[in-house]
Amino acid sequence: MKRIILATLLLSLTIVLTACNSRPKLRLLNWGEYINDEVVEKFEAETGIDLIISVADSNELFYQKINSKTTAFDLVIPSDYMIEKMVEENMLIELDYSKLPNRGTVTYMDGVNQIFNSMTQTTLARSNKTVDYTDFAVPYFWGTFGIIYNNRVEGLEEALNEHGWDVYFEADTYFPTARRGMYDVPQFAYAAAMMYMGNNPNDYSSTLLGEVETVIENADFIEWGDDTLKRNVESDNLDMAFVYTGDYLDRLYIQLDEGKTLAEVQADFDLYIPDTTMVFIDCMVIPNTATNIDGAHQFINFLLNPVNAALNAEVVGYAVAYQEAFDQIISYLDSADVTKHNWATANSIYYNMEAERTFYPLTTLHPDDIDAINTMVQNVITG
Amino acid sequence: MAVPYKIWLSILVFIPILAMLFISFSNLSSSVSVGELTLSLAHFKLLWESSTVIAFRNSLIFAVATTLISFVLGYFIAYEIKLSKFKNKFILLTFVILPMWSNLILRTESLANIMSENNILKNILGFNLFGNISGTWMAVLFGLVFTYMPFMILSVYTALEKIDFALEEAALDLGLRPIKKFWKVVFPLSFKGVVTGAIMVFLPTLAGFAIPKILSRGRIVFIGNIIEQKFIYTNYNHGALLAVVILFFILGSILLITKFDKEGETLL
Amino acid sequence: MENQKATLKDYGYRDFTTLNKIYKILKKIFVVAIVLGLYISIIVIAIQSINESRNLSIFTRVSFQWYANILQEEELMQAIRNTFLVSAIATVLATFLGTFFAIGLYALSKKVRVLWMLLNNVPILNADIVTGFSLMLMFRLLMVVFPNIFGLFTLVMAHLFFTIPYVILSVMPKLKETDPNLMDAAMDLGVRPYKALIKVVIPAIKAGIFSGMLLALTMSIDDFAISYFTTGAGFDNLSIWIYAVIGRRNLTPSVYAFSTLLTIFTLVGLLTYQFLQKQKKGKKNEKNNFSDIAS
Repeated sequence: MKRIILATLLLSLTIVLTACNSRPKLRLLNWGEYINDEVVEKFEAETGIDLIISVADSNELFYQKINSKTTAFDLVIPSDYMIEKMVEENMLIELDYSKLPNRGTVTYMDGVNQIFNSMTQTTLARSNKTVDYTDFAVPYFWGTFGIIYNNRVEGLEEALNEHGWDVYFEADTYFPTARRGMYDVPQFAYAAAMMYMGNNPNDYSSTLLGEVETVIENADFIEWGDDTLKRNVESDNLDMAFVYTGDYLDRLYIQLDEGKTLAEVQADFDLYIPDTTMVFIDCMVIPNTATNIDGAHQFINFLLNPVNAALNAEVVGYAVAYQEAFDQIISYLDSADVTKHNWATANSIYYNMEAERTFYPLTTLHPDDIDAINTMVQNVITG
Repeated sequence: MAVPYKIWLSILVFIPILAMLFISFSNLSSSVSVGELTLSLAHFKLLWESSTVIAFRNSLIFAVATTLISFVLGYFIAYEIKLSKFKNKFILLTFVILPMWSNLILRTESLANIMSENNILKNILGFNLFGNISGTWMAVLFGLVFTYMPFMILSVYTALEKIDFALEEAALDLGLRPIKKFWKVVFPLSFKGVVTGAIMVFLPTLAGFAIPKILSRGRIVFIGNIIEQKFIYTNYNHGALLAVVILFFILGSILLITKFDKEGETLL
Repeated sequence: MENQKATLKDYGYRDFTTLNKIYKILKKIFVVAIVLGLYISIIVIAIQSINESRNLSIFTRVSFQWYANILQEEELMQAIRNTFLVSAIATVLATFLGTFFAIGLYALSKKVRVLWMLLNNVPILNADIVTGFSLMLMFRLLMVVFPNIFGLFTLVMAHLFFTIPYVILSVMPKLKETDPNLMDAAMDLGVRPYKALIKVVIPAIKAGIFSGMLLALTMSIDDFAISYFTTGAGFDNLSIWIYAVIGRRNLTPSVYAFSTLLTIFTLVGLLTYQFLQKQKKGKKNEKNNFSDIAS
């Protein structure tokens, strides 16, 4: 008996000991599959730091994990509105740009700067405080939202290009038999409906909530999902869905990898980016529970190198935030390598931010308002 | 020797329940300091929200339906295993449990896949095995039944196994036909297993959220989905309140078990 | 006079032979249908794992590349390692502790035992998400004293919380079946109580311990909701990882490959164990037969 206890203790001890080692660790909280393994390896080789990655699939979960302090994360990559909320609640530390020399080697893309400005504006309007978000955040990836559509449906593409949001929301008028889907994040549904109505998606009032409810009811959504939306449009199980642009590119790259041409894929399913649409930016931020602050800065600095940023974007289908990295990708348009060429073409088409469009980043709303929106959407779904 | 376990259970079972009760009645949250704590029934208006009521209704109806169907199909399989001439029943039971070793979400997503209009089986076989029931209540029901049926099969089989064959022989000797023998002798003796199995199917279905969300494509909302959303958006007060309501059902079921099984020890 | 011979029918005998035949065939079809229903999702997962294309709706060609690729997927491998680590530790501990707790509870008077068994059932019956959340609350209180406990420690504790009851429930019936005089007999023969426990009682309830261990492992390996709330420090297990990745990104088909492998290995493992058991039983039966003849 004693021998068994001893053996178990020894076993547990060995397990615990092998789990620890002497290399410094960096704890990163990220979206799933949102970083290229090669980038991780390269970082670990260059700095000798062990990168430990946790995943969660929503900003709200990021917030909860950081707030509950159950793990001392050193680095987290939330989206714009969540960064606003975290700064408001003093959950982040200011970045020490003296530790980020690579910052001088990159220029943020215009759209990125616009988003930061917009965030500062909304914060000023909401709480009368001036916050420069670049004090806390360095862009990681960004992108737009669009309507992924099933191009096998006759006339859908033309209708979208001509009428935009109307085709998506007015199920009675346009394509009444089309199968429409929406992201299961209620705030996205609210924002999309607001943009359809010509409003700023970040405005909230109970009157607006009522109007949005009617709009969403009329849209007759048959699916509320996430990853499933893009897959279903691809496989002809859904006709229209409001998704991240990166979602479309994910599936595009997979199809291209398997030998299809860009034209072939677009014939099956394509992405329409409305004139007024949402943008988002995911940034690297350091929570105030961080223990390895230096390591965190090293990681941010590493990704501020346009070469590494482009390497990261090779696997993750989202848009790079640095002009230099973007230029590098676009240069592959002339490349003989088919994969690189396709990648460059996709970026030039879908991440073309220069067109005359209105881009809205989402902002954080008051928890009670969020709750009201959540409840409204649940009411619409349940009938 | 059981003292440490008693302490363990007390801490980890009692106290959280008390905590949840407290949270549902108060306005405790991360942004409220201790001095501002108030107790109120303010959160209870959540219970009247149409989505909450409908979600509860959905959960209850599906839980009952799933339990009934699992009972019929599960009892059938358990009885067939008992009657089977296969010498090693353990292997048969293993086959029943084996699917439970695969990740639930993977399994459910696969089901959702083949219930859609265009899916991989249609691609291979040329026709759609399930029609296009993805997103409907039939899909959810199918998923729930076949996910939790193994519990029913195991419980019923355990109870059936304990029945002394001499009793069945006696019934046959006394002139009962096999069918009558089943209803008058076997079934009543196995009832304890049926109740246990029913509870082990009913409760997870009632509180579940992943299976309905995936198979109904987000269209059919269960109370578990609402609780999940509340927790994700850190609205713990509402979430705790709904959780407490479900707890009532669970405690009720436990009391029901004790009626049938005075010692509460043969859940399996 | 007409032949008034009574037929069997008059005696109340009804001919069920054809009905029985149909019934037997129907039964077989029904069983196959139900088993198919249970396994259809596993079959689809297996099909996806050998599909060359990542497209989940179109089967292009048979390819085993995803199996070879499992080792390359760093996030997946880490999640798998974590899962096995936690489940192994939790199962071993749960089996030990559960067995001893069960023996301890068995020794109590009936009324007290019933009360504690009721509490014992709560972790099993309670909703996953509620258990996970309440455990997180409790562990957060402990965080004041031990700031870094979230991670492997809390995860194992949480898994113990819902696996020990299963072990106890498996062992308890077997305990009831054993002869209560066994312990006394052993001690009368001069064995010390502790040793008597190990050498006498435990072998008698071996089957219960084994099935309890199996059940604990099954429940622990696939757990999502409870693990989600009680883990930390990047210690995500497979279920958490799948849930996170399937939400916003593309799930690599290597996950399907891994799942299929796990299913196959489990099946082979259990069948082998059964086969070995049969071998052992076969030898025992031979011995018994001889002893019967001898006496």
